[in-house]
Amino acid sequence: MAENKKEQGALSELFRVFFSKHWPVWVGGITLGLLNIILFAVKSPWGASGAFNSWGENTFRLIGINAFEGTAPSTTNLYAMLGLFTILGAMAGALFSKEFALRIPPVGELVKGFIGGGLMALGATLGIGCTIGAFFSGVPALSGGAIIFTIGLFIGVIIALKYLLWEMENVPKFSTGKSFTLLAVSSEKGKWQVILGWIVTIATFVLAYLTAGTNGVLAWFILSGLVMGLICQRSRFCIVKAFRDPFMTGESDGSVGVIVGLFVTLIGFTAIKYFGISAEETTLRAREMTWVFGHTWLRAILGGFIFGLGMTVAGGCAVGTLWRVGEGQVKLWMSALGFLLISPLSKKYIVPAIVDNLPTSMKFKSYLPDYIGYAGAFIVVVILLLLWYMFVKWNERTGKFSAY
Amino acid sequence: MDYTIKETLDCKGLSCPMPMMKLAKAMKGLSSGDVLEMIGTDPGTKSDLPKWCDKSGNTLLEEGEVEGGVFRFIIQKK
Repeated sequence: MAENKKEQGALSELFRVFFSKHWPVWVGGITLGLLNIILFAVKSPWGASGAFNSWGENTFRLIGINAFEGTAPSTTNLYAMLGLFTILGAMAGALFSKEFALRIPPVGELVKGFIGGGLMALGATLGIGCTIGAFFSGVPALSGGAIIFTIGLFIGVIIALKYLLWEMENVPKFSTGKSFTLLAVSSEKGKWQVILGWIVTIATFVLAYLTAGTNGVLAWFILSGLVMGLICQRSRFCIVKAFRDPFMTGESDGSVGVIVGLFVTLIGFTAIKYFGISAEETTLRAREMTWVFGHTWLRAILGGFIFGLGMTVAGGCAVGTLWRVGEGQVKLWMSALGFLLISPLSKKYIVPAIVDNLPTSMKFKSYLPDYIGYAGAFIVVVILLLLWYMFVKWNERTGKFSAY
Repeated sequence: MDYTIKETLDCKGLSCPMPMMKLAKAMKGLSSGDVLEMIGTDPGTKSDLPKWCDKSGNTLLEEGEVEGGVFRFIIQKK
């Protein structure tokens, strides 16, 4: 019996390691990078905005809008399922650490969430991808357009941050007022949260097991979603933070976490593309061009810019929205709603109206190794990451570009 | 430790980045030695706020949980 007790102590100690404190962002960056590499090796890299689009199209299909009649159900869409289980994984992470609660902010914040989500939908459909697909996966995929998308993101984030600072000074009413916190528990009580966390986790494993017989890839995406959502919630992995904080409080932790994640992913993606790993069902060229989108340069910069505006106003990018939805941040529920309602409409009506009139020279696929070889492309991306790292570290010390 | 709270900042319900932005702004308006109380519900604040105090040189005098899910921080301006 005594031994049994000791065993329990060791396990609960392990549990506490994961769920008593937040993880450093770089731990999130590295582990998400590794899981992203495995997703690509199994099928295709991580993406987040596709989930919202699928949910939106299905919402319109279910309410009987003809234009969306042929939409495939979200349950068969790899990225919709990845996104759904990212939410559940984040929920499990929050429940295990007793951080789950419905946090309802003042009305102004809910409005900002919805508008931010809508802008992200416009940006993601115009720029082909969000901060995950076109940035966190796109840059390591050696896509030239992804780098341009990133420049757009930066401009959008800086402008939207200026707006937020202005709003706080001039219309503070927008972010103050009545708020509610429901279902929260204190650290000594609330065992139900931990139990519910286990229920969510075990149910996901059972579902993945049942799915694996007919669709192994889908099962893998379901499990990856759960783990990635949990990692995001525990490390508070947030692309907005990475772009915004140097210009806000000067913090560099968020940026460093993302840079480290990009570097890890870069190694794996380069190897998968260079050696044509898992290219059996497709051509080598198709494998190389995975996550290299036809958005260089105008679509990428416009899309990145609008997405950058949206994610800063919402306070969460596409994946940041997913995991905060799971944690119970109701502002981000509104952002998710804005994202999923606007995305299909933008994709079907707004984007074609703009893009069909663009010459090909403004929306082509640029694959960096085509111009400078694999070694050259790898080195260019590493140099860009190093420059970004040097900038945020220098700025953290000097506060040159920080608002405070 | 003895201190008098000069200002209370209510960030309940708000999510990132609003609590940190409001905090940075409120601290700007205080004079050296003043003490600010901040109340919030965003779990992110629990890691962001101590880090920010560390880097900005302000002192985090106290941090704790008022009730389930509501955190309270006492910060003294540098």
